Amino acid sequence: MSLPLYYYLAITAIYILMSWAIYLPYRVAHLHFLVVANMAISGYLAAYMVMTLHLSFWVALITGFLVGGLIGFIVAQFIGDAPTFAVVIVGFTFIYITRTVIENTKAVGGTMGIFGLPSIMGNPALHRWIILIILYSLVLIVGFLIYRFDHSRLGRAASAIFVDKNIAMSFGVDVKKIGILLQTFSSFIAGGCGVLYGFIYKSFHLDYFTFHLIGIFMTVIFVGGYRTQWGVVVAAPILYGLPLLFPPEVASWRIVIYGTLLIMVLVLKPEGFITRKLVYKIEKKLSYLIHRRGVRI
Amino acid sequence: MQVFIAQIINGLSLGSIYVLLVTGFNLLLLVAMIIHFAYPQVVVFSMYISWWVLRATGNNIFLGVVAGIGSAIIFNLISAPLFQKVMKKREGVDINTTMVLSLGMGMIITDILSHGFNKGLPIAFPKEVVGDTSVLRIGLIDVSNGQIYSLAVGIIAVSLLFWLLYKTRAGRAFRAIAEDPNGAKLVGIPLFRTALGSYAITGVLGGVTALLLAVLLGTASPGMGEQVANKVLAVSIIAGLGNLTGGLIVGLLLGILEAIVQGYIPGSWANAVAFVVMLVVILVKPKGIFGMKL
Amino acid sequence: MEDSTLLEVKDLYVSYGHVQALKGVSLRVNRGEIVVLIGANGAGKSTLLETILGINTPQRGDIIFEQRSIAGISADKNVRDGIFLVPEGRGVFAGMTVLDNLLLGAHHNMKNVKEHLERVFEWFPVLAERKNQIARTLSGGERQMLSIGRALMSSPKLIMIDEPSIGLAPIIVNEIFDILVNLNKKGYTILLSEQNANKALKFAHRGYVLETGKLALEGRAEELREDPRVREAYLGV
Repeated sequence: MSLPLYYYLAITAIYILMSWAIYLPYRVAHLHFLVVANMAISGYLAAYMVMTLHLSFWVALITGFLVGGLIGFIVAQFIGDAPTFAVVIVGFTFIYITRTVIENTKAVGGTMGIFGLPSIMGNPALHRWIILIILYSLVLIVGFLIYRFDHSRLGRAASAIFVDKNIAMSFGVDVKKIGILLQTFSSFIAGGCGVLYGFIYKSFHLDYFTFHLIGIFMTVIFVGGYRTQWGVVVAAPILYGLPLLFPPEVASWRIVIYGTLLIMVLVLKPEGFITRKLVYKIEKKLSYLIHRRGVRI
Repeated sequence: MQVFIAQIINGLSLGSIYVLLVTGFNLLLLVAMIIHFAYPQVVVFSMYISWWVLRATGNNIFLGVVAGIGSAIIFNLISAPLFQKVMKKREGVDINTTMVLSLGMGMIITDILSHGFNKGLPIAFPKEVVGDTSVLRIGLIDVSNGQIYSLAVGIIAVSLLFWLLYKTRAGRAFRAIAEDPNGAKLVGIPLFRTALGSYAITGVLGGVTALLLAVLLGTASPGMGEQVANKVLAVSIIAGLGNLTGGLIVGLLLGILEAIVQGYIPGSWANAVAFVVMLVVILVKPKGIFGMKL
Repeated sequence: MEDSTLLEVKDLYVSYGHVQALKGVSLRVNRGEIVVLIGANGAGKSTLLETILGINTPQRGDIIFEQRSIAGISADKNVRDGIFLVPEGRGVFAGMTVLDNLLLGAHHNMKNVKEHLERVFEWFPVLAERKNQIARTLSGGERQMLSIGRALMSSPKLIMIDEPSIGLAPIIVNEIFDILVNLNKKGYTILLSEQNANKALKFAHRGYVLETGKLALEGRAEELREDPRVREAYLGV
């Protein structure tokens, strides 16, 4: 497989997974920026485990997931039902503190980063295939789980919380529990993604986990559409892929284009492109087609 | 001992930067109910415009000043209505959307600066402008005129704004609009004109801050705004959102605290100080040490 | 058009989206009068007052103030020209001090602010006592006084009050109405809306009855008080 294709597929998958990781807590109006810190923490931890402790990639990956989930779970005890503002602040804080700790810790490369991670199974070509298989299996699994959540009682409760937390509470919805669930799962995914992100490039660097990353994920979610999970699926490949088709001078203005798109969407089309109504219409059409087993006009 | 005092002085000038920025941030909050996460980036943008004009006009200081303040005002006037438009979709302060909006703005500004100016390398202001001549020197202690200016202007700016907001007719109108735009209409306050006025004032403050930063630091880089933006937010939260005097005190104290940490502990741990303090404050006294003034 | 007519509303139609709130309402307020609008909740009283002030634009009809048409003119301009609305729910700025609230009343006309302020403090000593307190800490009756005081600061030619008695204890309501009568004696023209028809009709000069956006009855206050339809519907007799 050609290298550019590999990078495109791999990074798109990361974008989808991470944007979903932010999409979930946003169902209850939480902008869970902690996930970027989760990426960094789990990623660097995994790199350390592989490079210095000589543990296998698989152990590192699983640890990455678990550490992410654990941190998410602990922090969620405090901010599971907090106002949005507090969630955002806590997320920023963790990102800052994580970066500072990494910057100053020689053992994980400080500001230089970690390079030359070994290929999985010792084989570079196999490494790339394995990464892609893991990533897209994750996309399918996580996508399925989110689908089930969105179409369940819990999903409806989450929507109620989004509209008005207090009214939802008065209906007996346990806001904190749902908040903890969503944040923990989101951090769990982010941890794994952090590990995989680095292993895509076989290196880790602080510049991978910046506020720019948050900006990119925000663009994917809000331009795609934050009301359903499909917005992310459509927006990620397009937003990441399109700049790659343009000449490098244009493509380097990627971030400005993302930012402008984001602002335009917020002001003109706040629900994003893939709106709830659109998804309903498509779902209805699909179930109609499936039931009739054929297209009828 | 001398090292300690030197660090305090450094801390005060760092703190005065925080004070100027947090005051602009609080002002936008108080008169427009906007949480402008990207306000520091706007200020840095004005610095760059000023630098560019200086280069283009052979270091014409007057034009440089006009460019700095003018660009800040213009940018404020453009971006503020965007916030208003976005906030109309939901009642009250919709933090999520204003936040994402300012994130977007910050993204754009930082990237434009990285691409469009000086190939992304840090810019340096001409010698005549930078205030790094020593005014006072006692052993290791070295106070530059730039440091004195920024501290002085910081305190003056806060006092002026305080007077403006709480003791003048215009300030009353600004606060009334911030609290209840419909109620303000009922009292005969012309909304659009007055709102524009408040944005312009914030722009002036931003421009002055940009100029002072140029004088104090002598350089600027694309990522500067982002680095500072989160700390400014931290200062505002620690002091209490919208609290002008609180912002003054906390800004200076944080500057001093960071300088001391920087001086005695090797590495870049000073950066994390603001956030640890903020975390503690949110958990213990969520409305801020001095209370919110929203 | 007589010179003593301060305000005339002609055949006003106002709608909010699909809801027709006012259907052809006409009324007149003469200088020095107290005119009361009676009607149940949702009859359109607030809408009428707000439209006169300029918050809503009528679809049809005209509003004439001091022989000038003001339909469609924005609220802040009308306030500057001498109409003031004391809104339902008091409408004070809860986060600002009593003094600031009063000063805001004089926002567009700061000449003689000191005298106006002294006058308001004379009429409402409670406000003088609490002048540096945040409005949120005032009781319901005190807030109503603050709202009226704020109106006075602008030296209005016409004071409109939306439901002055709502949410207030009967004793306080009496106080407020006494204040209004006194203001009227001093020369202020007052147009108010009230659900509490009993009290209002006792001191008003004339009244209009609004029912679902339409004018049902009009006349002098004494006549309305005796009218069997009014007695049954609004006086609970």
